[in-house]
Amino acid sequence: MPSSCANFFSRYVSGLAVEVTSLRPGVAKAGAGSHARDREMRRYDGACWALDISRARTLVASLAVGNRPAGWVERLLRETQIVEANANAVHLFGAYAGRDRMLGQPILAYWPAEGSFILADLLISAIITGSSTLRIRSLVLRDPKLTAWLSDDESQSDTLFLAILANPVDDRSFWSLRSSEERYNNLIHHLPFAFLEVDSRAQDERFDQLRRDGQTDISAYLAERPDDILEARKIVRITNVNQSAVTLFGARDADQLIGPVDPLFAASPDSARRVMEHHFAGDRRHSEIMKLRTFDGRLLDVSLSVIYPTRPEQLDITLIMLEDITERLRTEAQLRQLQTDFSRAARISMLGELTSSIAHEVNQPLSAILTYAETSLRWLSRDEPNLEKVTQLTTRISDSARHAGEIVQRIRGMTARHVPRMALVDLNDIVDEALLFVRHEIEARSISLSVRLRRDLPSVFGDRVQLQQVVVNLLVNGIQAIQQKHASAGAIELSTDLDDHDAVTFTIRDNGPGIAEEDFNRVFNSFFTTKEEGMGIGLAICQSIIAAHGGAIGAANLPEGGARFWFSLPAGR
Amino acid sequence: MSETPLIAIVDDDEAVRDALLNLLQVEGLGAMGYASAAAFLGDPVSRSFDCVITDVRMDGMDGLELQRRVRSIDPLMPVIFVTAAIDDTTRIRAMTEGATAYFTKPVANAELMRELFLALRLRPGC
Repeated sequence: MPSSCANFFSRYVSGLAVEVTSLRPGVAKAGAGSHARDREMRRYDGACWALDISRARTLVASLAVGNRPAGWVERLLRETQIVEANANAVHLFGAYAGRDRMLGQPILAYWPAEGSFILADLLISAIITGSSTLRIRSLVLRDPKLTAWLSDDESQSDTLFLAILANPVDDRSFWSLRSSEERYNNLIHHLPFAFLEVDSRAQDERFDQLRRDGQTDISAYLAERPDDILEARKIVRITNVNQSAVTLFGARDADQLIGPVDPLFAASPDSARRVMEHHFAGDRRHSEIMKLRTFDGRLLDVSLSVIYPTRPEQLDITLIMLEDITERLRTEAQLRQLQTDFSRAARISMLGELTSSIAHEVNQPLSAILTYAETSLRWLSRDEPNLEKVTQLTTRISDSARHAGEIVQRIRGMTARHVPRMALVDLNDIVDEALLFVRHEIEARSISLSVRLRRDLPSVFGDRVQLQQVVVNLLVNGIQAIQQKHASAGAIELSTDLDDHDAVTFTIRDNGPGIAEEDFNRVFNSFFTTKEEGMGIGLAICQSIIAAHGGAIGAANLPEGGARFWFSLPAGR
Repeated sequence: MSETPLIAIVDDDEAVRDALLNLLQVEGLGAMGYASAAAFLGDPVSRSFDCVITDVRMDGMDGLELQRRVRSIDPLMPVIFVTAAIDDTTRIRAMTEGATAYFTKPVANAELMRELFLALRLRPGC
């Protein structure tokens, strides 16, 4: 037994670490039979088996002279029987059956298939030379060594001891760990999104050094040292990837991805910085959407999730998940475009119904301009031109022209193709502006209009034009409802307020016929209308606009007759 | 006519009202402006006007109703409509109810003045 094996073996029993300081298998000389064997095995805190190799003697003799018959590995392990196993051997390999089930069984039944060659090799070597030790790799054991030696006891010449000397990574049995490892591998390799295991220990060391140096503001630190970010992209390495990652990156194979994480951040250098900042901060995870340049040159939108390791996990594995959301973002953009086009079409259609109102609004200043201008000419054509009057009238012409320009601008704002622009807006202003489009519809029908706008209303975050459209639509809806009733004294009440949940609300009440019971669930549906003219998209548009603003919209009948429509929008801060 | 004719201008648009007041002033006529039909009818001097120029669509009482009210007080009072409303139904209603003239904004001064002077039984240039 190499002396290096001494002093390193510790295990966990009920959470208690036991340090085994000496592991010299060859020293057990005393005793005979099972008594000696048991004593020898008791020297071990590691997993230890006593194996009977009597049945394998013939094969071993053949192997000893260099023969390697087909299937010799399996045969050797089948012919080698377990005669004793210590608690740890049972614990580590015994699965659920336990020690009793293990005894009398070939070692083949318990040894992991992929390690059978290694074990077979070790056994032969030990049988021939007396003892043998191998370093092995294991998923569940840290720095494991496998050692085998023949009993010194003459009476037990067919007894071979086998021990695993290592620190168990985990207290669970080998089988459950193996199956857990298997599940993990299956999971990541079949995940529908790209999965990368990353070793960032080199960066951890740098961070540790920074912390020791008293650095706390990593953002400021990195801002001054962009090279450190580039360096981190080189020293932090991808160590494992799944097939989805290979596909996502357009890589030839997994090997092309193994190496520095640098390519991951080629198109999004800022993402690398943020990943580092969250890492330094000790965060558990970080997610963001970023651009990814693939090996075959495509530029993708991906959702990046980083899960940073924390103790007692293995600190060498940072998990990175990438999901290609290019298509999703494109679809969302198309959907937004459709909604934008649709609401614009609805606005144009709505304004079409309001042409006489709009003409009236524009005609007023134009009329004033014409009268002012002609009156000015009259003052000028007098024998003694009244220049003072002309100056005054010309000033008013320019005022009216500016006013006309503003009105045209507002109408154009409603019809122009525009990308919704979210900004802090005052709902009261929007109501005022919307009234421009319908004021004369209301006046023409002798509808009495009362407007109660709450002062000190917080701003809302929204698109001015679309919110105006909602208010105009609700107003037109109210006007048309009143018209349907053919009642003489039509009345509309508008109000804005702040509700109990700090949402800004707009309410419009009309004294029309109200909403028929059977129509309640579909007033906001597209193409639902009770009017002879009209497409029935107005209220549907209102609903989609308010929904896109994170608000709510609703309708109810008033007890005194008529209907109430309202919407609420979260107050923007 | 020895006295200067006095014209009432009823329009809820301030610029339009002001422009018409200026026009009548340069034409040598007296004029007063009112922002609503109610304001005009409520003015004690409303009976002393020689003609009413009004818009149709206004906040509160509209021009057609104003014409009816004015006529009920003075059946011969000329009422001239100057309106931004472009629908024919309103024009026909106004004219059948006895309007002197009906103009759609923007209106040229010359035409308005011609009708106004006709209504005042004065010849242009007087």
